[in-house]
Amino acid sequence: MIQLRNIQKSFGNQLVLKGIDLTVNKGEVVSILGPSGSGKTTLLRCINFLERPNEGQVIVDDFKVNSKQANKKEILTLRKKTAMVFQQYNLFKHKTVIENVMEGLIIVQKQPKETARKLAMEVIEKVGLTEKANAYPVQLSGGQQQRVGIARALALNPEVILLDEPTSALDPELVFEVLEVIKRIADEGITMIIVTHEVSFAKDVSDYIVFMDQGEVVEEGIPTVIFNNPKEERTKRFFKRINREEDNLESNLTNAI
Amino acid sequence: MQIDIPFIFTALTEIFKALPLTMIITLVPLMIGFLIGIGITLIRIRKVKGIYRLANFYVSFLRGTPALMHIMLIYLGLPLLIDKMAETFHWSIQSTSIPILLFVLMALSLTAGAYMSEIIRAGILAVDQGQLEAAESIGMTGFQAMRRIVFPQAIAISLPNLCNIFIGFLHTSSIAFIVSQKELTGAANIVASNNLKFLEAYIAAALIYWGLTIISEKVTALLEKRVTVYNRGGVA
Ligand SMILES: Nc1ncnc2c1ncn2[C@@H]1O[C@H](COP(=O)(O)OP(=O)(O)OP(=O)(O)O)[C@@H](O)[C@H]1O
Ligand SMILES: [Mg+2]
Repeated sequence: MIQLRNIQKSFGNQLVLKGIDLTVNKGEVVSILGPSGSGKTTLLRCINFLERPNEGQVIVDDFKVNSKQANKKEILTLRKKTAMVFQQYNLFKHKTVIENVMEGLIIVQKQPKETARKLAMEVIEKVGLTEKANAYPVQLSGGQQQRVGIARALALNPEVILLDEPTSALDPELVFEVLEVIKRIADEGITMIIVTHEVSFAKDVSDYIVFMDQGEVVEEGIPTVIFNNPKEERTKRFFKRINREEDNLESNLTNAI
Repeated sequence: MQIDIPFIFTALTEIFKALPLTMIITLVPLMIGFLIGIGITLIRIRKVKGIYRLANFYVSFLRGTPALMHIMLIYLGLPLLIDKMAETFHWSIQSTSIPILLFVLMALSLTAGAYMSEIIRAGILAVDQGQLEAAESIGMTGFQAMRRIVFPQAIAISLPNLCNIFIGFLHTSSIAFIVSQKELTGAANIVASNNLKFLEAYIAAALIYWGLTIISEKVTALLEKRVTVYNRGGVA
């Protein structure tokens, strides 16, 4: 179980997260939606202390980290329990696909090389890249690179995988293959927190939706309620705008044809 | 005055015997300088309190003055210091018993350290921050992330600059003849004055430097191909 308690974060004198509370149960997939600049990325990065929160606690299982007292060792322990998938993939460019996946297993988890290799191959197969195991990141498409990013996270068998807009850097025709992989590992019961703009995907894959605006959780709940009957004005407006954008996109396409 | 072309070849073989010393005066400072450079870079990138300014001063001063000055300052200054210390602490060493070569190597190591730190720093800053974050996010320590992820790529990126600094130091090593080192230039000097054929001797020395430079360019090209394998290979 992942718990965030009163997470606050400011950059300079701008308060970007105004005290976020969130509980994610084991095996759950939680999607975070919200307009640009609402603090979604910052929240995700506070969970593994890539950004140190000014206030609050992160609890993974029964390991508790206080933002204020956290020392290096605690932060490392926390990071070993979590993994992250980045918008820009952030693969290790000088390492092949399999080396990218093995790196954490060998260096962080101290697994023997052969065990690590076997485990890495299994995960790589899961994301459908067996043939590319010895390719370097530059030799892969964006979609393939992101699947390596997912494999690298998955191999570590973390308590939770944090995904920050995993498909928004991708060409439209590559989005599907990545969403499909995420869906598949969600079905395996991996706990995930996903920041995404793919509303229909979020609807499909999530057990729980959090809608954020201006550093606050405006509304949260199960997908059918949030999408079909949002209570808050800001949530309604957000979905209306998203729908309009999608309509525009479609009519543009139609006009173009 | 006539130029004695056959003598150029005689001089060439004679001067060439000094190659090992030139290599020592080039490579030892570069290797020590590389280690100094890494240290200085880490201090500057992490902004280590207290010594951070000192590191900046070191780089600024040594890059801001000719290598010849470094040799002179160390060669003339360090013996004074050593003798003074020996006197106060009753050591039994004397500065005159220290080979001059050691002073040259020390001075040029300091020079190389300053240049290396700039090269390594540029290389490290060229590796995108995202990879460092990815390494940290899987639980690597800062040191592990540096050693396994950032550093290898920084060196690969820096390879052309490292080649340039090698060529630069190969040429800089020639000033060691000022403090009577018999490296290539020192040897050329001797051959020249013994035979009173100055132009020929220096042409010979120039040819040797040029040849060495071409070889090191070729070697770098090969190395670059090997080290940056990951950056090539078709589809981007
Ligand atoms: N390192 C930083 N330094 C200063 N301000 C920052 C930093 N990172 C984020 N911010 C600010 O914090 C706010 C929240 O940013 P964040 O990236 O978390 O938003 P987001 O919800 O992820 O937006 P998007 O949907 O565009 O990715 C923004 O106003 C942003 O400008
Ligand atoms: Mg974001």
